Amino acid sequence: MSALRQLDLILRGEPLRDRSAVAFALGPLVVLNVLLAATYGACVGAFAVLGRDEPEWRQVLASAVKVPLLFAVTLAVTLPSLYVFAALLGSRFRLIDLLRVVAAGTSVIVALLASFGPIVAFFAVSSTSYPFILLLNVTVFAVAGGFGASYLYRAALHAVPPPEPPVDTDPDDRPRGRRVNDGIGKLFLVWVTVFGLVGAQTGWILRPFVGSPDLPFTWFRPKQGSFFEGVGKSLESVLGTRGRSR
Amino acid sequence: MTRHRSVVSRLLRGESVRLRTGLLLVVGGGAVYGAAMGSFGDRLPQVAFSAVKVPLLLGATTLLALPSFFVLNALVGLRDDFAAAVRAVVGTQAAVGVILAALAPYTLLWYRTTGDYHEATLFNGLMFLTASLSAQWVLRRRYAPLIARNRRHRAMLWAWVAAYSFVGIQMGWLLRPFVGDPARPVVFLRTDSWGNAYEIVADMLAKEWAALAE
Repeated sequence: MSALRQLDLILRGEPLRDRSAVAFALGPLVVLNVLLAATYGACVGAFAVLGRDEPEWRQVLASAVKVPLLFAVTLAVTLPSLYVFAALLGSRFRLIDLLRVVAAGTSVIVALLASFGPIVAFFAVSSTSYPFILLLNVTVFAVAGGFGASYLYRAALHAVPPPEPPVDTDPDDRPRGRRVNDGIGKLFLVWVTVFGLVGAQTGWILRPFVGSPDLPFTWFRPKQGSFFEGVGKSLESVLGTRGRSR
Repeated sequence: MTRHRSVVSRLLRGESVRLRTGLLLVVGGGAVYGAAMGSFGDRLPQVAFSAVKVPLLLGATTLLALPSFFVLNALVGLRDDFAAAVRAVVGTQAAVGVILAALAPYTLLWYRTTGDYHEATLFNGLMFLTASLSAQWVLRRRYAPLIARNRRHRAMLWAWVAAYSFVGIQMGWLLRPFVGDPARPVVFLRTDSWGNAYEIVADMLAKEWAALAE
């Protein structure tokens, strides 16, 4: 099955209806996820082409590399704990199952990001307001993240294999099974929240994605402040309570 | 002629028309209004530019908002209805084109009664607002069977209106001038004064607020 067909099935929610639909080839979907994330990165980075006096094409390349990197780093940080805690709660999730569910959830996020790409690119090339593009980027990420989190939560509940019954009880011990699935559901809720927070801070570490027109191009900025501090400053700037950067 | 009348009539009643016909009505209706809009100051190049830019405004805004509309529809389980949703959206754009064309005579009459550029701009804003709001009626009629089938279409309808308006306002700002200030030379785009429509509005509101507060 091609990766695009797989993505179409994921967006339609097929893996949520049929557990066997989760058993797809991971490699092609990961490649497609990287391409979609890179597309969005290039759209955001387009601000540096027309948003400053000298076009800075390196920012387009940097952002196209950094958005997939953002997902890779966030997953690398948060996945091991998810696997361990899921096992602690009694889930029979195999690592490959977990990777597939997370890859499907990531597909939802990056497909949404890429689909908003044309709008973001349009504003990036037609607007000179740096704080506005920053906030637009944060809003698009928040919308995509919200959908991805909701998908991951539902996918996790559907993809969890039935728990093994305890040795000393009836094999049809349904109350325990329900408890395990409830526990996994709660674990995924906590995990998607942590995923969002880690992702936000990783994004801050990997900045700039847009590239301030007042600063020279750089691949990474020095450690300073936090994601939430940065969003607050942009909001103040757009609402006119602070001097505009441009 | 009878056939064309019946197409327009069917479109405005919220009935289905062929995609190509819908696109032709967007281009034709938009061009008619654009030509009328650009005739302020009787400068022929501005007439031609605006006749091109109004269909461009409607078409480009739709194209930019469609990809996210597609993915959102798929995510909420409405992927199978997407073709019908696109037909509804294109039908609405065609309705905007037709309504604008029908309002063109008012604009021409207004131009004969005033030579003030700002009044002309405001009047055109009012015509666009009238056409956009009237076309919502077509959109709602086209969406009614979809909403009856699945209530999630209502949320997607609002998502479309929000995305379209968000992009359309900036697109309109970017494609200026449509009316053409007689005191300035005729240009296709004012590339020297590109910017962010929302920030400019926020700036204006902040200044008004500051003036009121003093």
